[in-house]
Amino acid sequence: MIRPFLLLALVASTASAHDFWLEPSTFRPHAGDTVAIGLRVGQDFVGDPVPRSSASIESFVIRDAAGERAIGGMENRDPAGVVKIERDGGAVVAYRSKPSSVQLAPEKFESYLRDEGLERIIAMRKQRGDSAKPGNEIFSRCAKLLLNSSKSFGKSFSKPLGLRYELVPLTDPASDALTVRALYESKPLPGSLVVAMFRDDVDVRLEARTDRDGRVTFRLPQRGVWLLKSVQMIPAPAASGAEWESLWASLTFER
Amino acid sequence: MGEFVGVAHFRALIAAFAVALLAATLSAHEIGTTQVTAHFQRNHTYSIDVVTAPQSLINKVEAAAHQKRSPQLTPAQQQQRLQSFARDLAGSADIRFDDRRMMPQVAVAPIVIPSDPLQPSFVTIRFTGEIPPHARTFSWQWGLTYSAYALALANEGHGDPVRQWIEGDARSTPFALAKEVIPPTRMQTALQYLQLGFTHIVPYGVDHILFVLGLFLLTTKKKQILAQVTAFTIAHSITLALTIYGVVSLPSRIVEPAIALSIAYVAIENMATNKLHPWRIAVVFCFGLLHGMGFAGVLRELGLPRSQFLEALVAFNVGVEAGQLTVIAAATLLIAHWHQEKAWYRGRFVVPASALIALTGLIWTVQRLMA
Repeated sequence: MIRPFLLLALVASTASAHDFWLEPSTFRPHAGDTVAIGLRVGQDFVGDPVPRSSASIESFVIRDAAGERAIGGMENRDPAGVVKIERDGGAVVAYRSKPSSVQLAPEKFESYLRDEGLERIIAMRKQRGDSAKPGNEIFSRCAKLLLNSSKSFGKSFSKPLGLRYELVPLTDPASDALTVRALYESKPLPGSLVVAMFRDDVDVRLEARTDRDGRVTFRLPQRGVWLLKSVQMIPAPAASGAEWESLWASLTFER
Repeated sequence: MGEFVGVAHFRALIAAFAVALLAATLSAHEIGTTQVTAHFQRNHTYSIDVVTAPQSLINKVEAAAHQKRSPQLTPAQQQQRLQSFARDLAGSADIRFDDRRMMPQVAVAPIVIPSDPLQPSFVTIRFTGEIPPHARTFSWQWGLTYSAYALALANEGHGDPVRQWIEGDARSTPFALAKEVIPPTRMQTALQYLQLGFTHIVPYGVDHILFVLGLFLLTTKKKQILAQVTAFTIAHSITLALTIYGVVSLPSRIVEPAIALSIAYVAIENMATNKLHPWRIAVVFCFGLLHGMGFAGVLRELGLPRSQFLEALVAFNVGVEAGQLTVIAAATLLIAHWHQEKAWYRGRFVVPASALIALTGLIWTVQRLMA
């Protein structure tokens, strides 16, 4: 039996910013199968279902050997998307949200910046004398999901989908050493923290920073479902009214 | 709020909240599927229903405890797992009245599986408890959600719920409780039950009034009236308490006719004698035991507050005594004080009045036996 204080601690320690990823009804669909794509928001790879909201979707697409097409779904319903798989092989699903705004108290904001490896923003705030000011930001999601009818992913996964911030596998996710490249506006992003989480064990968490080519390599110990995530932060456009803009990239797959 | 939320009710909630989704586009968190409804009832209890995704909830509790995450479970397995988490779920809800945290009771409703296979299942977790005395506001915080959700709050009998958007694990803004749902203070309870006890005699307890008048009409001697009333009071206090605490129990089909018969008896004896025989005290005591059970039946129907049980019981009994003394005082002031020494007092007042009381008691006896 779990003791109540654990949950009391949870009430107090939940992060102020949460990850966002895609979860399918199956990672191994075959031609003719219908796959439900759920949106999830949470932490430690445990999330709340997020119903479809057209007002929040910038794009929600699948790309497979048949090409790229939009994913439909019923408004205000979870799962947010439903798609029929046309051909066997690999497919990539991408979800891009419209930006939302948030204001966080200075301590909360800087705590979240540290969690996401954004110490350079902390330094910039300090330089500007903003450390004691609340963090005003706009944020958007850039989530990807790999589907595959066979154990090997082939080459379908390695082509970028053109998300503003994107994690692109360079090696087959089925292999033991997975290399991904972080692309910001289609260019490699060096020094960015990438975190890998294993769905079946909350304590399995790997972290690494991208090299000068935006690449990071993980040796994934377990077979199962993995989530990779990374956050990029830049000064927000003046018209947004915010000071910072964050882009939340994620990549879900089963290996 | 009796039943747990069903599919139709859930869809209605979805429709209501869909409108609110537009207003929530400024929300910092994505809007999830969790919905929370808090009801504050006139019986001074609260009931908070959290409608949420069962698998996600299980995994969140497991993650909080650094336990191995369960794979997708069947609804039966989810149900079992959630039941085993009941204590932990109670700890995850930070329920506050003013600034005082309350630990709720938790019930996990059967998981609902919509007939549409594309629709996800959901479960209702119900948190319940008593609203503390002196409470003015309620606030809510739940650590087991990462998304924004709608919190609906309603005071019973005060119209449509008030809605708040809660950002993940943030605390809601204080909600003002209606006067009717806040439990009374001990003094308020005592005064309320004192009044209920009194009005149960004057004006509503005509049978008890007639019985007390029957005691009063036997004699003009104050000490003898006091002796009877004291025996009656001690006796009915005993059975009122014993019946309320469930120690003794007699069905009302026996108690109520017996009370009516006791009225007839004392009145008939008044016609036969004006002396206080020793058996009269014993008989009055026995009748008092019956009347106490009758008072208990009424008090049960009125209901006693669980948190202030004893205070209410004592106050009700004191109210009953006050009602009896009022009857005697009124009879004394209206007639006895002025005329009890006169020759006609017994022949023209006591005997006819006793006859009328006896007749009434007998009629009630028959009516109550036939009811």
